[in-house]
Amino acid sequence: MKRGIGKEKSLSRFFWMLGGLVIIGMFIPLVVVFMISFNPGNELIFPPQGLSLRWYFNIFRHPSLLSSFQFSVILGIIATAASLFIGLSGALVLTRRKFRGAETIAGLLMSPLVVPQVVIGIGFLSLFSMMRIYHSIPCLLALHIVLTLPYTLRVLIANLSRCPVSMEEAAMVLGAGKYRAFLETTLPIIKPGIIASAIFAFVTSFDNFTASQFLIWDRATLPIEIYAYITKENDPTVAAVSSLLILMTVGLVILMERWVGLETVTG
Amino acid sequence: MIERNKTSLSLNLLLPGVLCLLLFGASLLSIGILSLRPERLAREGIGLNQYLRFFSDAHYLTYFWRSFKVSCYGTLLTLFLGYPVAYLMARSGGRVRLMLTLVLVVQFFTSYIIRAYALMLVLGNNGLINRMLMKIGLIDRPLPLMHNETGVAIGLIMVSLPFMIFPIYSVLKGIDRRLEEAAESLGAGEWQVFWNVTLPLSLPGMAAGIILVLLFQLTAFIVPGLLGGGYYDMVANFIYDQALGVLNIPFAAAVAMVMLAITLILVIGLNKLFQRSLKDVSA
Repeated sequence: MKRGIGKEKSLSRFFWMLGGLVIIGMFIPLVVVFMISFNPGNELIFPPQGLSLRWYFNIFRHPSLLSSFQFSVILGIIATAASLFIGLSGALVLTRRKFRGAETIAGLLMSPLVVPQVVIGIGFLSLFSMMRIYHSIPCLLALHIVLTLPYTLRVLIANLSRCPVSMEEAAMVLGAGKYRAFLETTLPIIKPGIIASAIFAFVTSFDNFTASQFLIWDRATLPIEIYAYITKENDPTVAAVSSLLILMTVGLVILMERWVGLETVTG
Repeated sequence: MIERNKTSLSLNLLLPGVLCLLLFGASLLSIGILSLRPERLAREGIGLNQYLRFFSDAHYLTYFWRSFKVSCYGTLLTLFLGYPVAYLMARSGGRVRLMLTLVLVVQFFTSYIIRAYALMLVLGNNGLINRMLMKIGLIDRPLPLMHNETGVAIGLIMVSLPFMIFPIYSVLKGIDRRLEEAAESLGAGEWQVFWNVTLPLSLPGMAAGIILVLLFQLTAFIVPGLLGGGYYDMVANFIYDQALGVLNIPFAAAVAMVMLAITLILVIGLNKLFQRSLKDVSA
């Protein structure tokens, strides 16, 4: 009787209808991208007028798309590794050493999240041009480390604060050195956190457009090339690139579900 | 016997993080310095010319007004559309919840450019919606769904939905169902239970979602750039245009400082406001 038999279920019905429509509305554009990427003609018409892989082959006729993809992957990997290293050492100190100002530093390290991307971009542009540095690689790397650090730091602080330091102490009592104790007790426990924050950091770096576009003197990242292509040429090549990237994302999300669970994203 | 200082860490480990912080702080500081340059290509000199120019011409304020207006109603609509999805995710069982989560996480991790581009293919003159409406004969000319405020607003809402859904979902799934059942057993209808029990309990999630979405929509660049197509530029697009289009970096820096101030005031103000009202609810 506790469900209230006979009582109207209009709320659930309303939520299911509206929620279902929203989910479908979010899903359809991605399906449309897939279908248009197989369109033989060069108009962006839905439904597609046939089936062809022409635009997928066309990607290879644009060296700028290929080289920027390669550059974005490398940049993302290096920025992620650096951000993990800085985040892990920072998170260790911030969770295990009690000192004045620890909270302030942790808060400030999160601040890039509330500063608009355009402002960060202009800021890096101003700073590096005042220092007369006009090279994309070091500037983008510095930018991406600053942008990804809040994510790695947040996840790792949450993980480390649930992980008691007594295990490490026990290992040391048993004769392990300081580093071995860390590597064999704490590290395995926070491994899911490291994987999750690495994925967050990589995606953040790989997708960043708005701040990065201010620093492209001699190298461009993939999002910048895609944006330029959409605003200049706009044939279904971008649909093909997008389809491949969406497939990559789906793969990444499935791996994430297997390794660490999607709760790390949804909270 | 272990010595305490064997387990305690050296503060030097924080050094790389502090360096990043200094770099970030220096970049914000350099915007401040450049915004005081009196002329477009001036390398020195200090003055408030750029700020005066900005505040004296109402034309420049339209970009701020657009961003403010669209992100205000955009955030409310995102809340209205996102809440039911979060509710469904929290209340559905294993399979359905996993499927919904998968769809949303894929959205979340797909870059804004691709999602905005996908929406262009749906909203454009040859897009899915106009094609379908013309085919069934409802309209004989394409509806202007892109390159205007409508397109930008739709884009912002669709792209920022995950930022609203995840925090609400996270709070909703932690709510003790017995509270709702207690209200039901006392005779409350479904809507009454929702308004009086579920909704107030989910306020923390809504607060987090509102701040995230407002921040995102207020400062968006890609969505107004692609779905507005230059016909509905917002603050971020204007700043970019001034900096790298007309190469007036001091002016762009001044507008960026204004934007930074407004965003920080909004975020901190909303945080305070929500914290106070959440205290009232729990009291």
